[in-house]
Amino acid sequence: MQKKSFRRGIHPLHHAHEGKMPTRNLETREYVSDIVTISMAMNIGAPATPCVKKGDQVKLGQVIGTANGFMSVPVHASVSGEVTAVEAIPYLGGEPVMAVTIKNDFTDTWCDLEPLGSVEHVDPAKVIPAIQQAGITGMGGASFPTHVKLTFKEGAVCDTILVNGAECETHLTADYRLMLENSVRIVDGLRAVMRALKVEKGIIAIEDNKPEAIAAMQKAAAGRDGVTVQALKTKYPQGGEKQLIEAVTGRQVPTRGLPIDVGLVVLNVGTCAAIADAIIDGKPLVSRITTVTGCVREPSNLRLRIGTVTQDAIGACGGFSDTVGKVFFGGAMTGLCLPNTAVPMAKSTNGIVVFNEKESKSMDESPCIHCGRCVAACPIGLNPYQIKVAADASNFEAADKLHVQDCMLCGSCAYVCPSRRWLTSSFKFAKDKLAAQARAKGGASK
Amino acid sequence: MTLRLSSAPHVHSPVTTQRLMLYVLISLLPTAAFGVYAFGIPALTVLLISMASAVLAEAIWQKIAKQPIRVNDLSALVTGLILGLNLPANAPWWMAMIGSAFAIIIVKQLFGGLGDNFLNPAMAARAVLLASWPVHMTTYVAPTFFSGADAVATATPLVLKNSALMDLFLGNVPGTIGEVSKIAILLGFLFLLVTGTVTWRIPVVMVGSVFLFSWLFGADPVMAILSGGVLFGAVFMATDYVTSPITPWGQVIYAFGIGLIISLIRQFGAYPEGVTYGILLMNIVSPLIDRFLPRKIYGHHKEAKKA
Repeated sequence: MQKKSFRRGIHPLHHAHEGKMPTRNLETREYVSDIVTISMAMNIGAPATPCVKKGDQVKLGQVIGTANGFMSVPVHASVSGEVTAVEAIPYLGGEPVMAVTIKNDFTDTWCDLEPLGSVEHVDPAKVIPAIQQAGITGMGGASFPTHVKLTFKEGAVCDTILVNGAECETHLTADYRLMLENSVRIVDGLRAVMRALKVEKGIIAIEDNKPEAIAAMQKAAAGRDGVTVQALKTKYPQGGEKQLIEAVTGRQVPTRGLPIDVGLVVLNVGTCAAIADAIIDGKPLVSRITTVTGCVREPSNLRLRIGTVTQDAIGACGGFSDTVGKVFFGGAMTGLCLPNTAVPMAKSTNGIVVFNEKESKSMDESPCIHCGRCVAACPIGLNPYQIKVAADASNFEAADKLHVQDCMLCGSCAYVCPSRRWLTSSFKFAKDKLAAQARAKGGASK
Repeated sequence: MTLRLSSAPHVHSPVTTQRLMLYVLISLLPTAAFGVYAFGIPALTVLLISMASAVLAEAIWQKIAKQPIRVNDLSALVTGLILGLNLPANAPWWMAMIGSAFAIIIVKQLFGGLGDNFLNPAMAARAVLLASWPVHMTTYVAPTFFSGADAVATATPLVLKNSALMDLFLGNVPGTIGEVSKIAILLGFLFLLVTGTVTWRIPVVMVGSVFLFSWLFGADPVMAILSGGVLFGAVFMATDYVTSPITPWGQVIYAFGIGLIISLIRQFGAYPEGVTYGILLMNIVSPLIDRFLPRKIYGHHKEAKKA
């Protein structure tokens, strides 16, 4: 099989291999905690509104938060038991969010489910509504409501569905384990979407550092209409939607456009498996595989109920094995730091990584020596060092002209910078500033 | 328990500025070793003086300017060594000192320090020494190692034009400490390539450009690339990160331009050697090359294929 890839990027990403080693060969364990705290704002778009109150008995899979419009998905109870709180909790960085806390009765009594049957026979018109009903959002990290992704504007044509099994981030092996342990479900989910959108081609793209996953997916895809597996040359950030598209199809999503503009939809492997569960069993999204690793005694892949508190997940892995420096959700290239371990994980939490103090030490910037490593690494083709000069001078218009808005914050430039310049974080700052300026302008003209 | 908050990425490549500078120093070892082997103790003295003065000048300047002292990033050591290798073995000690101090204080620190100087410090210092003490700078000794005889003052092979190519290649020619042995330079280049410190673009394009233009101008192209400081300049001086373009195509244009200028000076100018001015002139335009060279940005081009 010809292996494909995108332009530039980092190869090799030293930390990816090391970070993945402790968990990649361990079978996923089930872990169910005493208490779950389920956020109502797990998706991009409008948060859900809680529809239960303190003291209510809820069943597993029961709707506890209703969707608010099209850009929203319902939220379901991930355990059965008693609602002990419905309140705003502090969440990652931003505003407090409403959350429902449930005390688990450990009976796992499911609510009434409405299975739609085999993905090859289900009425295609029922697939996308079922996806929204099941509360499915992008599980690779972006948490974009999946049914919105699958609903195109007038005239748009999709010719291929890409399934993202690249998992190029460091430390994470959740998608890898899913591909080994649940490969048929991933193909089922893909087939359901292909039938719903009347698309003939489905390509599952996997990096070549996961030969076992490639083999497992090839086996699962054998005999399924239009489904193929594509091996990719391992490189970071291959799992970025735009890079995956360039790698597999050679197409480029226009700036500020969507994959559908070039006839494509990209779904994460976890999203596909959740879609299959929703169609075949009628089960909403109540659990996911999360890699818990770093400075924990037993690094593992855990199948966690949505809303499991970080501290409990770490406890399920034997607790901390060293003095803790920082804890973040996701891999080390793009992961989001937690202010404390009371934060519950969400539908998009693919990893919980603990760094010890030494690993967490922040580094001082030294002068840029113009080595050009950032330019060679940027998968978008930007000039990070020039943008950094503009951003440091608070000249956000200049940064905009240098296309900072196209930066997807993959971290490649900051990773390779020998002067340890805080490139990615200053680009995020510039992007936030520009977004705020645009909002202010929009508000003023109204 | 307090957790640190920081924005991603949380990991970094092990390659730091200091390590890159160390790689450059290591890549210069064969050249320096050959220089000392060929020219003897005077060469060693020149190299040690220029390195020590460069580091000292940087430390003193940063102390006076109340800046953090960053000599352990090794960049001053690299500048000192490169300048030393650009001097004849019989250069007086004070010339090495003045050269290093000029490179570090005037060319590098006064323009903002590491990363902000627009000229290659060692190259600019060499140009100043050449203009100030032309006799000292162009009176080369023949390598004592090959002849076994005492050092003899001779003219540069670009003037003589009679050294056999093999002698040029091995280093059995008069010249500065660092430029004579092409084998040693190529060894250093190989190390820089293997460690990913530099890419092939600038050295290969620059040497190719000298070859092309000297051939077009009617000179012997093989002689042209093996004589003088072309190879040394291409591998160790034109590749200076700070003063060369960052973008791949920018580097190609820059290196091509250096080759053109060298050939023009050699064939039509009054100087026998043009490497210094070729590199310095292209140093000046390299920020412009970076700024005006169009970049292909993902998703910004029409050729992005539609379904």
